[in-house]
Amino acid sequence: MATLTAIITLQRLAATFAAPLALPLAALCWLLLVLPTTALATTSTAEQDPFNSFMWPVYRERFLGDDPVVFDDRVIVNAPGFAEDSGQVPLELDASALEASGEPITDIIAWVDLNPIPRLFRYSPMSHGLAKLSLNIRLEQASAVRVAVKQGDTWHVGGTYIEAEGGGCTTPGIASADTDWETTFGELQGRLFTNEHEQRLRVRLSHPMDSGLIPSQPAFYVQSFELLDQQGQQVAALDIEASVSANPTLGLHMRPSPGGYVIGARDNNGNRFSIGLQP
Amino acid sequence: MKACCLAAFSTLLITPLAASEPVMFCERPLTAQAVAENTWMVEGVKEELSTSNCGHIGNQAFIATPSGVILIDSGSSPRFGDALKTLIAQYTAQPVRWVLNTHHHPDHFFGNAAFDEAQHLTLASTRALMARDRDALIDNVARLTGSSVEHSSITLPSVIEAGEITLGNYPLTLFAMSGHSGGDLVIMDHATGVLFLGDMGFYQRAAATAHTPSLQQWQEELKALSALNASTAVPGHGPSAPPDTIIGQTSHYLEWLDQHLSDVASEGLGANHALAVEIPDMFSTMALNEYEFTRSVMQLYPRYEARLLWGAPH
Repeated sequence: MATLTAIITLQRLAATFAAPLALPLAALCWLLLVLPTTALATTSTAEQDPFNSFMWPVYRERFLGDDPVVFDDRVIVNAPGFAEDSGQVPLELDASALEASGEPITDIIAWVDLNPIPRLFRYSPMSHGLAKLSLNIRLEQASAVRVAVKQGDTWHVGGTYIEAEGGGCTTPGIASADTDWETTFGELQGRLFTNEHEQRLRVRLSHPMDSGLIPSQPAFYVQSFELLDQQGQQVAALDIEASVSANPTLGLHMRPSPGGYVIGARDNNGNRFSIGLQP
Repeated sequence: MKACCLAAFSTLLITPLAASEPVMFCERPLTAQAVAENTWMVEGVKEELSTSNCGHIGNQAFIATPSGVILIDSGSSPRFGDALKTLIAQYTAQPVRWVLNTHHHPDHFFGNAAFDEAQHLTLASTRALMARDRDALIDNVARLTGSSVEHSSITLPSVIEAGEITLGNYPLTLFAMSGHSGGDLVIMDHATGVLFLGDMGFYQRAAATAHTPSLQQWQEELKALSALNASTAVPGHGPSAPPDTIIGQTSHYLEWLDQHLSDVASEGLGANHALAVEIPDMFSTMALNEYEFTRSVMQLYPRYEARLLWGAPH
């Protein structure tokens, strides 16, 4: 937030400085002064899309509305630079530095600029979720992947660019540990790892995540996960789309809870799944 | 040529054709290096398939025998196979009569069509994988090298059983393994002491793991190959060297990779944590180490999680 304010202040300063001068000269000075300041500001936050993607304005408006938006290096999005198996690309968000710097994180939205189903997930950390998450995604083609994290009234956006190209001996489905989903359908497995700062939950649900985009194959995918405490109170919620890979595998980071957590999931056919994880 | 053999054959074998122009492929001279008597290898560039290497990334080897040439692997396109055929003709007057394909990856058998008068042979396991993956691999080669391959030119070899075999009168020992690709033919030539590892061995070029049944399986098979006491080994990628050197480097890398993936997966961390590691210095001489490591994590990480977190048998 501090840096965001700084941008505005410096621009105003530049304008003030230029005002008494003749108009063309004023414009020149304004340019000379504003350009470097904006460039400096990109080390932390910026307003220019670092990936120059033509879809950025579209999805910014669709997913983030009219709220203020900044590109922010503290929203770290990790993924390999290329997709060895475009059906299973590991993505990881870590916005803990942003979270530590101020108000609570209230909402997290992720999307792939060039996927037919752009949105990946919407995560509400609520009372117990931390601003970290990992899951595998599908990638239709090389694209920027964005994660927008809402703190106060501002969306802080991070991202990464992934090339969608495997190697010469790569064949489809190479990273799918389970091709025969019908025999394991609905199996929800999980492990809980505790350290002094957090409880890390690793969860895997056996589910085909059919997008409905393949002819004669209806949409059949998991729509939501929720985390409950031992009293059955909802403490975090994650909605996902079919751009998340088959057999969704989630890494969730939660505030330590002595009794652990219950994770529930629901698909678009009304199937419900749940598992309890204790430390 | 038919009646020439008998006493004079060894002279015949080493007599190259009249001094010849260098064989060019992809605007570079294609060369063969002698690895033993009557035995040569053609080393591919230590890169991934690309437009700049036209797909010449894997090694080939050939043995000139009195009854014809035995070719081990044929490169990644019929066009490359043609250049290879011309090159072989500079080292021996014998025609290629047998092509042995070590495994089903495109850089090892897509050149077979250039040797249509030869018998094409591979393991049953390898042939099944070729049938399974052929179309996807043809697409990969076209996408990465920018030149398309006719589907009809990529045919499947006949099946040969592992064990002691003779091609013409030339004896070879074939081993059926699976560590690298699920169907790996390893060839031992006891006459010269040369061990043809196929992609069971990578040297000075990081191992590709896309189709490995498991890294442990691969390492166990490499141990068995060490025990053969061959004098020289030809890897699938990288230069020839003593067997222990090649097998040692491949297995040390696989051992490190296996341990690293196990460590990260057992802590419940995501694949990106497995990627965020410095590759040890001892592997820094291997070409493509970052690239292949990244691929391996993406290919294998779900399996390590399945085994270590979800209790799947493996």
